[in-house]
Amino acid sequence: MRTIFKITQSVLGRALCDLRRPHAFAAERVGFFSCRVGGLRSTGWVILAEEFHPVADDDYLEDHTVGAMMGPDAIRKAMQVALDRQCCMFHVHIHEHRGQPRFSAIDISETDKFVPDFWNVAPQMVHGAIVLSSDSMAGRCWHPRLRSPIRILELAAIGSPMLIRRRKS
Amino acid sequence: MKEALKRQSFLGEGSDLIHADCIAGLAGLGGGGSHIAQQLAHLGVGNFLLIDPDRVEETNLNRLVGATHRDVLKATRKTAVAKRVIKGINPQAAVKTANKKWQECHELIRGCDVIFGCLDTYRDRSELEALARRYLIPYVDIGMDVHRVGEEFAVTGQIILSMPGELCMRCLGFLRDELLEREAAKYGDAGGRPQIVWANGALASAAVGIFTQLLTPWHRKHEPTIYLEYEGNSQTVTRSNRLEYMRDKECKHFSTADGLGDPFWAPVRRLRPA
Repeated sequence: MRTIFKITQSVLGRALCDLRRPHAFAAERVGFFSCRVGGLRSTGWVILAEEFHPVADDDYLEDHTVGAMMGPDAIRKAMQVALDRQCCMFHVHIHEHRGQPRFSAIDISETDKFVPDFWNVAPQMVHGAIVLSSDSMAGRCWHPRLRSPIRILELAAIGSPMLIRRRKS
Repeated sequence: MKEALKRQSFLGEGSDLIHADCIAGLAGLGGGGSHIAQQLAHLGVGNFLLIDPDRVEETNLNRLVGATHRDVLKATRKTAVAKRVIKGINPQAAVKTANKKWQECHELIRGCDVIFGCLDTYRDRSELEALARRYLIPYVDIGMDVHRVGEEFAVTGQIILSMPGELCMRCLGFLRDELLEREAAKYGDAGGRPQIVWANGALASAAVGIFTQLLTPWHRKHEPTIYLEYEGNSQTVTRSNRLEYMRDKECKHFSTADGLGDPFWAPVRRLRPA
């Protein structure tokens, strides 16, 4: 299944600006992209980020075992966006380095817990998680037709200049 | 870097890999599109989607790059000619062809990184730009025309980069309702429009330059929207004045807030995680 994640440089820029702001106690910030989706012939789909939704300062929990712990209000607000718009929701955070970022073990275990919950409010949509670096990105997604999350092998930031990350497997 | 690409290493570190990885879509493989296909192959672009429903006719031989008299006799597909040219330059290139109107293979276009529009009508341009916006694909449009001015003929053309989230061809005044209406009124009565190889080549070269600038670290002076006007009688390409009037303006015709993706997306059936 071919899966592409696309975002404009302007939406990406807004996300990067917000995610890089220091927080009173959380070591990092997180947010969500609301996205739309389109079919690619019969064998894939393209996910199109339309807006960045930051997590409010007050919606973080103080938990020093992880970089950032979202409180229930953060998840509830993201769910509300998915419900109101019937859109895809992608959790996003940043690893501050250059080059290809990777999901850490804790990123994977935490997103495995809450991302499928978006199907409770937007059951037809593809939901997932994106990790950014200063010049690249990586992604995982949960498609309603698949039992397990899959890696997104093609990601692109659209603008001048363009950023295209395409991996074979 | 491959030996064949060493002379363009100034395009930046990894530019060969960027081109090899890129998927370029070409809608229209006539005078303009055939030039673009050839140049992209020389650049090292590794993946092509070639779309054109037409076959080579004798009237194409004045401008269609790669076409031969034998292609006229055999009524070869224009996509087949472009594929032959590309494969002749870069045998490793992956080339998909669609011998139909682009509207009949829009799901293939969605997977392209950049789409070149080398189309004959304003209607086609307008629709292809709308598709490109909906699926966040940079769209590069080229076109030429010949106008009678007194006793002489003026050759003109345009190269436009329509970038999702930025000014569109309507914002730039290139597409206007009256032009679309006039074209619709003349539908079926268009006849063969004048075309000339060197004008097609100049437009295609500028379009490929824009494409290279978008993708490679060649230089950092990027503009989000590009509108170049070609003056064939003086052999000049200049930045359109219209961009000055539109400085700091936002596109009112396409919005990324509600204009992305399939309007009615639905997977076949849903399975919960095991």
